[in-house]
Amino acid sequence: MHNSQPPAPSPQPPAASSLLAVENIGISFGGLKAVEGFSVRLPAGGLYGLIGPNGAGKTTVFNLLTGVYPATTGRISLDTQNLNGLKPHEVAAAGIARTFQNIRLFPGLNVLDNVQLAGQLRAREGLASTLLRTRRYAHEESEIRRKAFELLDLFGLQARAEEPADSLSYGYQRYLEIVRALAAEPKVLLLDEPAAGLNSQEKIELAKSIRQIRDRFGVAILLIEHDMGLVMEICEQITVLDHGVIIAHGSPPEIQNDPKVIAAYLGSDVGAV
Amino acid sequence: MTQQGLATAPLESARPPRERGLVGTVVNSAWPVAVGLTVAAMMHVMLPTTIGPFYTRIVIDSGIAIILAVSLNIVNGMTGQFSLGHAAFLALGGYTAGMITFYGSLLLWNSPAKQGGFLGSGEWLFAFACLMGGIVATLAGYVVGLPSLRLRGDYLAIVTLGFGEILRVILQQTRPVIDSVEKLKNAGAAQLWPPPVGGAVGFNGLPKYTNLFWVYAFATFMLVVAFRLKRSSLGRAMISVREDEFAAQAMGVNVARIKVLAFMIAAFFAGLAGGLYAHESGLIMSPRDAGFQRSLDYVLMTVLGGRGSISGVMLAAIILTVMPEALRDFDQYRLIVYALLLIGMMLLRPQGLFGIHEVWDWRPRWRSRAATTRSMPAKGGRPNA
Ligand SMILES: Nc1ncnc2c1ncn2[C@@H]1O[C@H](COP(=O)(O)OP(=O)(O)OP(=O)(O)O)[C@@H](O)[C@H]1O
Ligand SMILES: [Mg+2]
Repeated sequence: MHNSQPPAPSPQPPAASSLLAVENIGISFGGLKAVEGFSVRLPAGGLYGLIGPNGAGKTTVFNLLTGVYPATTGRISLDTQNLNGLKPHEVAAAGIARTFQNIRLFPGLNVLDNVQLAGQLRAREGLASTLLRTRRYAHEESEIRRKAFELLDLFGLQARAEEPADSLSYGYQRYLEIVRALAAEPKVLLLDEPAAGLNSQEKIELAKSIRQIRDRFGVAILLIEHDMGLVMEICEQITVLDHGVIIAHGSPPEIQNDPKVIAAYLGSDVGAV
Repeated sequence: MTQQGLATAPLESARPPRERGLVGTVVNSAWPVAVGLTVAAMMHVMLPTTIGPFYTRIVIDSGIAIILAVSLNIVNGMTGQFSLGHAAFLALGGYTAGMITFYGSLLLWNSPAKQGGFLGSGEWLFAFACLMGGIVATLAGYVVGLPSLRLRGDYLAIVTLGFGEILRVILQQTRPVIDSVEKLKNAGAAQLWPPPVGGAVGFNGLPKYTNLFWVYAFATFMLVVAFRLKRSSLGRAMISVREDEFAAQAMGVNVARIKVLAFMIAAFFAGLAGGLYAHESGLIMSPRDAGFQRSLDYVLMTVLGGRGSISGVMLAAIILTVMPEALRDFDQYRLIVYALLLIGMMLLRPQGLFGIHEVWDWRPRWRSRAATTRSMPAKGGRPNA
């Protein structure tokens, strides 16, 4: 069902027909302007990167996009829907799903239930039909279960379905977080440092997986990542943040040769760029 | 279009859901209730004559404790909020139900005494009164649930505790019970407000309808709801709020709605149990029943049983009902024992006896240990083989 949408044929330029349009958003904490004047236009099926040194404000951008913090300036829209002022769960319903920099699975739920949870986003049946176990409710639940198994299957996690989520290895927990986000059937997937803590072999696999997820699910992806090799390899466009402001935006080769970017990374991991 | 990589298992391999006819659905939906009601009726008919009044009373108390503990566990265990005011809902339900049976009986039958036998007219009035008690408690549950949207942990505990204590003080200020129709008809506003439910001495003279059948009928109702909730989308949403509110929101869980819903469901059943409690012979519903001490009893049951383990909490409810009866002579030490039990549990087994598992899920530990040590396999149906 997911693969009914054709994959994006090729990297698209940031056209007017962007799926996620973010204009000039920002927020400050106390006196600190954590993010200021951030804009990005993510087309359907796009795979974009968001990089920057530690504390640059990347995660804060995700928190703004998902309604965790209200954007004090600017505008966020998905398709034609204005997301400004929506609560996190409403943003999720609108079609943005995310993963977390520090894995945040539900350890008290098993692997399957972590994924099945997303089903409640589109669940129509309420408390009464849940308690009465109506036919429609039973059907809806079995659909949720079927879809969850399908996804787990795809990522080779179905054999672990009944295990507690925190019993998985670190690498699999990272995958499970992605699976959980995909189960919400998002239009846009925000990945916050999915390669953190993975070894180089696992990173290579992750890079492939991310591309395939984009192709198979037709989902647009915005990726935060510190591993420059990974970002340069898979992202079509990259936005670079430093001290909360965008210092560069462009294709991987453009970014690699941008003097401002090199300067921003000097002293940190410039070698990787 | 799918290159090598993601496992290419056929996507439609999952079995389609089994279709049931209408009759099948109704049977599937109603059988646990039918079984529960049958068991309750059998207990009612057989137990009192075989085990005598003393043990019958303990079985009744256990049933009421099960309803209270399992319902509290929806808030404290499943949803991960910390309510210390569950007894307030019990009292609210008990007083509401008591007013309905007492003054209803006065108006209908000119006397507050019991009417009719098993499943007679009086018992139906009583069942209706319990439901109304549940509904009033639900409304209060909504109000008390609201602070849970802003407050966490200790702060919420203090608010809920305060709610119970305030209710206790209010109940002490109520008017004396009016025990005849004549007095009721001649009563002025001064006698009727605050409601005539007995003030500090408690609500005396209620018809004692509570019996094994109604207790276990309502307990069945509670357990069916609890189990169905746990295995549903709503239940998963509740548990996700407990596990990680932030991640739950990001997954589209309306945390505010889920928390308030949990409070309301729990309050409903506490109110229902309050109706049973108020009409149990040998007991007098009194303002004290709204207070902190009684709430603590139920908190202890949920802590002992395990957050989210329905059967574990049932077991704990039974143990903590039977134990004080067995240790009657040491009643003055009860609170000390409880406190020690609570501290011991927190230190040794903070997840409760059964944690999130049901009693029948229990498996030797080494099996799950073995699963954790496996790491990402190098080949097989994993991402990017
Ligand atoms: N809730 C908050 N309150 C106060 N300051 C915050 C808050 N969230 C983020 N900040 C600050 O905003 C800045 C940007 O933080 P952010 O987490 O977005 O950085 P990042 O680019 O994701 O860094 P990293 O690569 O280390 O994850 C930091 O200085 C951080 O301390
Ligand atoms: Mg970050």
